[in-house]
Amino acid sequence: MRTIVFVVAALAAASVSRRAAAYPQYQLDSEKTCTGCHLAPDGGGILNENGTNTAETTAWRGGNGQWMYGMSKPSWLDLGGDVRGAAGYVNAGASSAAGYPMQAEVSANVHWNGFSVFAIGGLRRPQDQGSAIHALWSREHYVMWQSNPEDHEGFYIRVGRLLPTFGLRLAEHVVYTQRYGGYPLYGEVYAVAASYVKDAFEVHAAGFIHDPIASAEEHGNGGALYAEARLGDHAAVGAEAKYSASDDAHRTYGGLTGKLYLPGPKLQLLGEAQVIRQDFVAAASDKVTQLAAYALASHPFGGGFLLDVGAGHFTEDTRVKGLFRDCLDAQMHWFQTSHLEWLLSARVELLDLGSHTNGGYLLAQIHYRL
Amino acid sequence: MGRMRCFSLLLALLVACGAEDPRPATVEVISVEILAPACGAPQCHSTSTNQSGYAFDTLATAKAALKQLVGTGGGERHNLMEVLTANGGKLMPPDAPLDPQDITLIETWINNGAKGL
Repeated sequence: MRTIVFVVAALAAASVSRRAAAYPQYQLDSEKTCTGCHLAPDGGGILNENGTNTAETTAWRGGNGQWMYGMSKPSWLDLGGDVRGAAGYVNAGASSAAGYPMQAEVSANVHWNGFSVFAIGGLRRPQDQGSAIHALWSREHYVMWQSNPEDHEGFYIRVGRLLPTFGLRLAEHVVYTQRYGGYPLYGEVYAVAASYVKDAFEVHAAGFIHDPIASAEEHGNGGALYAEARLGDHAAVGAEAKYSASDDAHRTYGGLTGKLYLPGPKLQLLGEAQVIRQDFVAAASDKVTQLAAYALASHPFGGGFLLDVGAGHFTEDTRVKGLFRDCLDAQMHWFQTSHLEWLLSARVELLDLGSHTNGGYLLAQIHYRL
Repeated sequence: MGRMRCFSLLLALLVACGAEDPRPATVEVISVEILAPACGAPQCHSTSTNQSGYAFDTLATAKAALKQLVGTGGGERHNLMEVLTANGGKLMPPDAPLDPQDITLIETWINNGAKGL
C-alpha cells in the first residue's frame, strides 16, 4: 500500500501529462493548417467553429461540440477548458499502480477585429511545503494580432507567454522529440512570435526569454524557428531550429519533420528527427551531442476511434557507446463525444537495443473538453 | 594460471568498458547532463515544485539537493544511489529510469568524494 501511495505521489501531475494540444494526426486528412481548427496559429487551445464541427463529425456521438454545448456568450468572447486524468500502472523494474490528475485548465480569448487577448490558467502541483496559491498559474497569456481574422491564412503576431512553435507538437509530451528535444512540457516562455500561415506552407519564428518568476522547463533565452511546406494535398516536410542560452548550458537544436497521408488505408505517417548540441557553461570542454527521433503511424476508424503506433529513439550522448534508449508506443483514442475522449496508452522502453529493459506503462486516460 | 587468465580478461573488459564513457565524473556533468533532464522537469523535482525538498533543474539547485542526498561521499551507497537503483516502486525516475552508464558515472563521482558541492 505504501508503495502505491508513493508512486501516486511521485507521479502526481507528472510523467504523462498532456497539454491542451492539437492532433496533427488529422492534419493532412482534413485541414492543411492548424488554423483550420484552432484559434492559435500553431494549434492547441480553443477550437474555432470548424474545429468544433470537426470534433462533432469525428466522434462516435458528436453532439454539440461548442463550448458547454452551445451555452450563450458574447460574440467577442471564446471560451475553452480541459480536464484530464489517468490511472494504470507503470513498470520500472517492478509493477506499481499509478493514478494522477494531469490537467485542469480554463481558457478565454477576447477578440476585436484583428486583435485578441488569450489566456489559459488552471492548477498545477504546488511547491512542497509551499503556499497553495502557487498551484494557480497561467501557462499561456498573450496578445495576438492577425491579418485576416475571418480566414485561416495570414500573418499572426503574438506577444506574451507561450510555447514557441517547434516540430510535430503532438499532445503526448513523453514523445522523445518533445521530452528530450525542443518542445518540452511546460516549456512556455515570454516571447515575441510571428507566424505566416498558408495552405501551401507556414513559417513560425520566435525570440524568447525564460520566465524569471515561475519555474519552467526552459531556463534559457534564445529563439526558435519552424517552417513547413506542403507537397500536394497529402504530404509535408518541415525544418526546425532553436537556440537557448541559460546559466548552465547553451543548447542548439536542429531537425526535420515529415508528414504523409495515405488516403486509401487512411493512414497518416508522422516523423521527426532532431540533433541537439549542448555546451555546458561550467564545464567548457564538455560538449554533448544528442539525437532524438520519433515516428508515428496513425489510423482513424469507425465509431470515433484513432489508433496510434509509434517508435522513438534518444541518444543521450553520442560520445558514449550504448547510451541510448528506444521506445515502442501504442495508443487507442476513442472520441466518445465531441467533448469526451478516452485514451489507452502503452509504452515499452528499452535501453541499448534491448540489452536492458527499462520498463514502461499502461495507462487509461480521460479527457473532457468544456 | 587459469584464474589469473580469467582475472586478467575481466580486468581488460572492465577497462574497456570504462573507456567507452569519456565523460568526466563531475558534479557539472552529472547535474546538467543527467539529473536535470531526467529529474528536474517542472512537474517533478524543479524549483517550482521542489518535490520532497529536492530540485534538479539547474546546476545550483542540483548541488543543493546533492548535498543532502550524497553527504560527504566516500564509497558508500547514499540515498541518491538507493533511489536510482532500487528494484521496485521507489525507483527514480519512476517512468524512465536512468541508463546504467549514467548510474555508474554518478557512483564514480560519489566514490571519488562527491567533489564540487
